[in-house]
Amino acid sequence: MNMTENDKQSLSMVTCTAPVNIAVIKYWGKRDEDLILPINSSLSITLHQDQLKTTTTIACSRNFQQDRIWLNGKEEDISNPRLQSCLQEIRRFSRKRRNSGDSTSDVSSVSHKVHICSVNNFPTAAGLASSASGYACLVYTLSQLFGVESEQLSAVARQGSGSACRSLYGGFVQWKLGEQLDGKDSLAEQVESESFWPELRILILVVSAEQKSVGSTSGMHTSVETSQLLKYRADVVVPSRMEKMIRVIRERDFPAFGELTMKDSNQFHAICLDTYPPIFYLNNMSHRIISLVHHYNQYYGETRVAYTFDAGPNAVIYTLQDHLPEFVQVVRHFFPPEVNGEEFVKGLPVCSADLSEELKRDINMEPTPKGIRYIISTKAGPGPCVVKDPNHHLLGADGLPKKSAISD
Amino acid sequence: MNMTENDKQSLSMVTCTAPVNIAVIKYWGKRDEDLILPINSSLSITLHQDQLKTTTTIACSRNFQQDRIWLNGKEEDISNPRLQSCLQEIRRFSRKRRNSGDSTSDVSSVSHKVHICSVNNFPTAAGLASSASGYACLVYTLSQLFGVESEQLSAVARQGSGSACRSLYGGFVQWKLGEQLDGKDSLAEQVESESFWPELRILILVYRADVVVPSRMEKMIRVIRERDFPAFGELTMKDSNQFHAICLDTYPPIFYLNNMSHRIISLVHHYNQYYGETRVAYTFDAGPNAVIYTLQDHLPEFVQVVRHFFPPEVNGEEFVKGLPVCSADLSEELKRDINMEPTPKGIRYIISTKAGPGPCVVKDPNHHLLGADGLPKKSAISD
Repeated sequence: MNMTENDKQSLSMVTCTAPVNIAVIKYWGKRDEDLILPINSSLSITLHQDQLKTTTTIACSRNFQQDRIWLNGKEEDISNPRLQSCLQEIRRFSRKRRNSGDSTSDVSSVSHKVHICSVNNFPTAAGLASSASGYACLVYTLSQLFGVESEQLSAVARQGSGSACRSLYGGFVQWKLGEQLDGKDSLAEQVESESFWPELRILILVVSAEQKSVGSTSGMHTSVETSQLLKYRADVVVPSRMEKMIRVIRERDFPAFGELTMKDSNQFHAICLDTYPPIFYLNNMSHRIISLVHHYNQYYGETRVAYTFDAGPNAVIYTLQDHLPEFVQVVRHFFPPEVNGEEFVKGLPVCSADLSEELKRDINMEPTPKGIRYIISTKAGPGPCVVKDPNHHLLGADGLPKKSAISD
Repeated sequence: MNMTENDKQSLSMVTCTAPVNIAVIKYWGKRDEDLILPINSSLSITLHQDQLKTTTTIACSRNFQQDRIWLNGKEEDISNPRLQSCLQEIRRFSRKRRNSGDSTSDVSSVSHKVHICSVNNFPTAAGLASSASGYACLVYTLSQLFGVESEQLSAVARQGSGSACRSLYGGFVQWKLGEQLDGKDSLAEQVESESFWPELRILILVYRADVVVPSRMEKMIRVIRERDFPAFGELTMKDSNQFHAICLDTYPPIFYLNNMSHRIISLVHHYNQYYGETRVAYTFDAGPNAVIYTLQDHLPEFVQVVRHFFPPEVNGEEFVKGLPVCSADLSEELKRDINMEPTPKGIRYIISTKAGPGPCVVKDPNHHLLGADGLPKKSAISD
């Protein structure tokens, strides 16, 4: 276990990182609000931490007066029920382990208070859901600190934020709906690892900032209450799509994977529209991106590119390595960036490509200047991991955030 | 029957008008593409012809070489399969009637060719579905000319454009899905007349540009009969949203609602939330124009709300056309509570209307769109 033990301070410290995940079969709607149990299973792809990750340092000391938490440089309210839920559950598991005689001597005492400091390497303003990576990282780091088995983490992370349980694994991950009322079988598990499909590439198109939308928690609650179509989706559509999605991933069948991904994204947004009052996450820019993808695929007569949208206007694009340069060029052409603005493509480098006049003519869309702020180019990546280098702790030996931990 | 008979030309002429209808329980999806049979029943409200109507003049003469049609001043292709469908069906019914000895001597000969001239009193560019009123008017006028019973018109109009059958009646109209494969029982019928709910008012906000769900039809008919506006409004909004949800769930997805539509929807929900009841309801068809339902009492204030949050062009065209709407003041509290950024010129104009009657014959011969020569009069070129 990676800790800096200072005998004078009796301070233990662990730093971990955890990834973001994007669902291709979406979770929307709970059957239990307290335990955060979903009405249908979901499946996601874990993104590579080199491009997107949450880093969390937790320090534990008998000298701390109370639990405290800093998120992206700002101290937040530790009494947040979901945070409390995670802390209590981890401590409970740890105590159970200790009582059963399993613990080792260098595991931090569960009765000591913790200081938690967490940062994302991507801006919150980008509208990329950070609660999954955030809670996954919190729970994983706590488990390292308090010595809790990884099999139990799914349930704990889930109670922080549903989709957080999927960020506990790399590659292709499913969160099984489960049948038990106590949610003990509503867990995430890896379907295939991140190295299974190396040609698969992922782009996040960050759309210009807009008015804040309806939050996921209240949004999905209203959907469950009011959407007639949601019951059909959960009972009939998703079970068969989950089977199909797992199969097409295992077969590395991109056209089938892409089509299913787009259909599920559209159905999710259809459910939002069928909610009362209706919820709109897709805006005009999202519609244009969707249009672009369909035209592009139509031009080639096959599904080369697929989109998915979560509870916000940012597009997540899936494609294969071979098509990446051309598609990025297509995006650049139809959503020309600010001339002297920030770097348009961040993350994994993308080769340049030429676009044929025929393709541009066929797509036949008016360019929308500055419609997309920037693109993050990434791929599937691993699950959470421990950071070994003590220089990367976000908290100092005093248990308070280092100055460098204030970032966004 | 209203005809001008010119012995030298042997020309018969009839002019009729027919209304637009807007569905509150939407028709979406056919179980038979040729007969245009729907997968679900639908229900609509017929709008008043004073604000929106199609006028069609049809002249029939042994001297005409071929069938011809002019729509909004422009000659169109008569071989359009749906037009052909209507013409053939009406002629078939007329022949049947003649053969069974029913006809009267002043009914035009079914073997003669027709000249059809049709105009709408609302701009096509406004994106208001004119195929319903257009085909209903065509079929109704043909029936007047050739002497076909009104009961059979539903089936004929339906084959021109599904929702056209609903424009054959006034007030509140249902188009029953039917069970037979030949579609003979897939017909429109009036649920209640246009005078049934006089307080109900309708606004059209013109933009500057298979289900596995149990039918809501029964409930809609019930709430209309009970004149229960909050229930009517909520059901209307839910059905509109569900229709658009299904469009989004299509592959590739279809988007009829745009940012402006979203803002209007938001406005309505905030407005209703402010008063704690459903006072206003929206419905959107296959396009961005909003159709708003409300009661007379709430009309002035809601129009003012729209004017405030979608301020029109300062020296532009009249913002509210159609039935006059009294002015009203808006409380600061209401504006604050709605809490939306105004969108200048987001709405080009509003048509204020109400429920109205079905198609009718135009008695005044000065209103014929075709001249004695069977060709469009110059005044029939309008949009």
